[in-house]
Amino acid sequence: MATLSIKGVRKSFGALEVLKNIDLELEDGGFLVLLGPSGCGKSTLLSIIAGLEPSSGGDVVIGERNVNDVHPKDRNIAMVFQSYALYPTMAVRRNIGFGLEMRKVPQAEREAAVQRAANLLQIEHLLDRKPAQLSGGQRQRVAMGRAIVRDPDLFLFDEPLSNLDAKLRVEMRTEIKRLHDRLGTSVVYVTHDQVEAMTLGTKVAVMREGLIQQIADPQTIYERPANMFVAGFIGSPTMNFLTGTLELAEGGLLLRHGDGALPLVGLEQDVAGFVGKTVVAGIRPESLSAGTGAAMLSGTVDVVEPTGPDTMVLINVGGQVISARLGSRDRPKLGAPLSVVVDTTAVNLFDPETGVRI
Amino acid sequence: MSRVAAASPPPRSVWDSLNPVRLLGELSETRYWMYLLLLPSALLITAVVLYPTVYGFQMSFHEMRLNRPALGTGFVGLKHYARMVSDPIFWTSLVNTAAWVTSSIILEFLVGLIAALALNRNLPGTKVLAVLILIPYFLPNVVAGHMWALMLDPRLGVINDVLVRIGWLESYKAWFADPTTAMGAAIVVEVWHSFPFFTLLIMAGLKGIPADLYKAADIDGAGAFSQLRLITLPMLKTIIAAAVILRVIGLVNSPDLLLILTSGGPGRSTQVLSLYAFQTAYKDFNFGYAGALSVVMFVLLMGFAYIYIRLSKVNQD
Repeated sequence: MATLSIKGVRKSFGALEVLKNIDLELEDGGFLVLLGPSGCGKSTLLSIIAGLEPSSGGDVVIGERNVNDVHPKDRNIAMVFQSYALYPTMAVRRNIGFGLEMRKVPQAEREAAVQRAANLLQIEHLLDRKPAQLSGGQRQRVAMGRAIVRDPDLFLFDEPLSNLDAKLRVEMRTEIKRLHDRLGTSVVYVTHDQVEAMTLGTKVAVMREGLIQQIADPQTIYERPANMFVAGFIGSPTMNFLTGTLELAEGGLLLRHGDGALPLVGLEQDVAGFVGKTVVAGIRPESLSAGTGAAMLSGTVDVVEPTGPDTMVLINVGGQVISARLGSRDRPKLGAPLSVVVDTTAVNLFDPETGVRI
Repeated sequence: MSRVAAASPPPRSVWDSLNPVRLLGELSETRYWMYLLLLPSALLITAVVLYPTVYGFQMSFHEMRLNRPALGTGFVGLKHYARMVSDPIFWTSLVNTAAWVTSSIILEFLVGLIAALALNRNLPGTKVLAVLILIPYFLPNVVAGHMWALMLDPRLGVINDVLVRIGWLESYKAWFADPTTAMGAAIVVEVWHSFPFFTLLIMAGLKGIPADLYKAADIDGAGAFSQLRLITLPMLKTIIAAAVILRVIGLVNSPDLLLILTSGGPGRSTQVLSLYAFQTAYKDFNFGYAGALSVVMFVLLMGFAYIYIRLSKVNQD
C-alpha cells in the first residue's frame, strides 16, 4: 500500500499536448477514478503512472519514491488492461504467477500465492485452462488475479469492464469494490463510465482535453460540480441548464427566465456579483418533483418516458426543454400544461461565459 | 386455378429451347451448377499437378533411358528403388541434402527473425528498409547464383579482395573448389537469398501480437529475452511452422542455386538429391531412375511435413 502523488505531469505527442500540468494526490488505500470522455488523456496518464509511457515533464511519486526513471517492473504496481492482456499461450496458472516467476519467487511460494489469488476470485477450477477457453468475465477475473497475486503498492485499472456485457459489468464492479475493501490497496481506475466512477471511487478526477476539471469525492462532484462540463458529464439523464437573469426581489434571489421566475431559496452559493446578469441554473432531473411549492417551473409536456421505477418527462419551459424525474405513477399527458416543484437547495448557478460554477 | 395459370412460364418456342444462355440459366438453378463451376480448376489441376505427379510415379517403375532407346520403356518394378539402396551417390546426396536444408533453414530463420524484430521497432527509416531487405528474395535464383559466383570468384571476386585487405585471408580462395568450404559458401548464398522470406512472414506475424501483452510483461518484470521466448515466439509458432515447411519444400526441390554455384562438386561435396535427380534426367537421360529419386524426395517431404506439424503442435491451439 502506498500513496500516489502526481506533480505537474505533462505529455505531448509532437505538437499535440495531451496532458497539461496534471496535479493529483491519492491517499494510502484510496480509490481514485480518472473519468472523462475518449481522448481526454486519462489512459495516457495511467500509462505514465505505470511507466509504460514517458512523461514530457513533472513527477510521479509512489509512496516516498520518485519513480520517474524507474522501470515499470520496479515500481511495484500491477495493472489490469482493457484487453486483459493475458498471455494466450500460457495456462491461467502460469498467467497469474508470471510476475512472480519473472521475479524468481520459488515455485512452492508461487503456487501458494496463485492458489490464494484464485481462491479469492473463485477461479480455482480454471487454473489449467488457456485464456482462449475462458469467457469474458473469467478472463477479467484472471487479469485481476494476475494483479493481486503480487501484493503491489498500487493497482492500475484501464477501463477493465468495458469489454463485458451490461450484467457482467455490474457484477464485476461489485467484485472490484469488494476486493478493494478487502485488500485495502490504493487504486487508480480509468473509465468513461460515470456510474463506475460514482460507485467505486473514493475520489474522482474528471478530465477533459488533458486537464483535470474537478477532483473531489463522488458526492461533491455530483452535487457541486465545478463547471458546466462536469455538471453535464456526471448524471444520467444529464443536468438541466436553464438560462435566465438573476434578480434580487423582496423575497430574495430570483431567476427570471422567459415569462417565468424561479425563486432561489436556500441557495448555498455567493452570487452577489451576478445580480442583474445572465446566469445558467443547473438543475438535476431528480431535483424536480410533482406537486406544489414555493419554487415552481411551469411549461408544457413534450415527451413522457416511463422507465419502470420513475417516469422521465421532458417539459418545454418557455422554449427551454428540461427533463424531470417524476414518480412512476406520474403520467402527465402530452401537450398538457405541467408545473413541477424545484428543490432549490440543490440548484447550482454557473457563469455562462466561462461555464464555471459561481 | 387462375393463380396457377399466371405462375406457369410462358410457352417456349423452338428457338428458346435451344438458346444457350437460357439453358445455362436453367442449369444454374440445379445442384449440378457447382460441379460446372469447379470444372475449369479441376481440369487445370489435373493437367499441371495431378498428371505430372502420377506420371512421375509411373516413370519410376519403368525403364526410360533416352540415350539407350533399345532398352524400351517396359515395366521394371522396383528395380530403380533397389538400385538406389546400393547407390553411394544417393546416400551422399541424402546426407548432403539434410545438411544443406537444416543449416540453411536454421540460419535463414535466425537472420530473418532478427531482421523482422529490428524492422518492427518503428524507428525512422524502417519502412524503407523493410522494402529494401526483400530485394534478395525478388532476385531469381539464377541471377543471385551468378552474382555470388562472381563475387566469390578466386581471381577477381570482391569478397576475396575485401577479406585479404582486412587480413582475414592470406590469399584469394577458391571457395567453391574446396570440398571443405563449398557447402558453407553455398549456404551463405542461400541464406542471403531467402532470409527475407522469413522476415516478411515474421513481420506479418509480429503485427498481429497485441502491444498490451508486452506492456503487461514489462510490468510483470519480463526482460527482452523472456518476452521473446515466452510471448513473441509462442505467438509466432504457426507462422514459423508454415514458413519452415514452405522453405524446406523449396530447398529440397530446387537444384538451381547449387547447379549454378557448384554443380554438386567438388567431388560430390555439394551433391543434393534434387540436383542428383536433375542430372540423372538431363545429363544421363535416365528418366526412370530420376523419377524414382523424385518419388523418394516426395515421400521424404511428406514424412517431414507430417512429423514437423505433429511436433510443433500447431494444430493444438
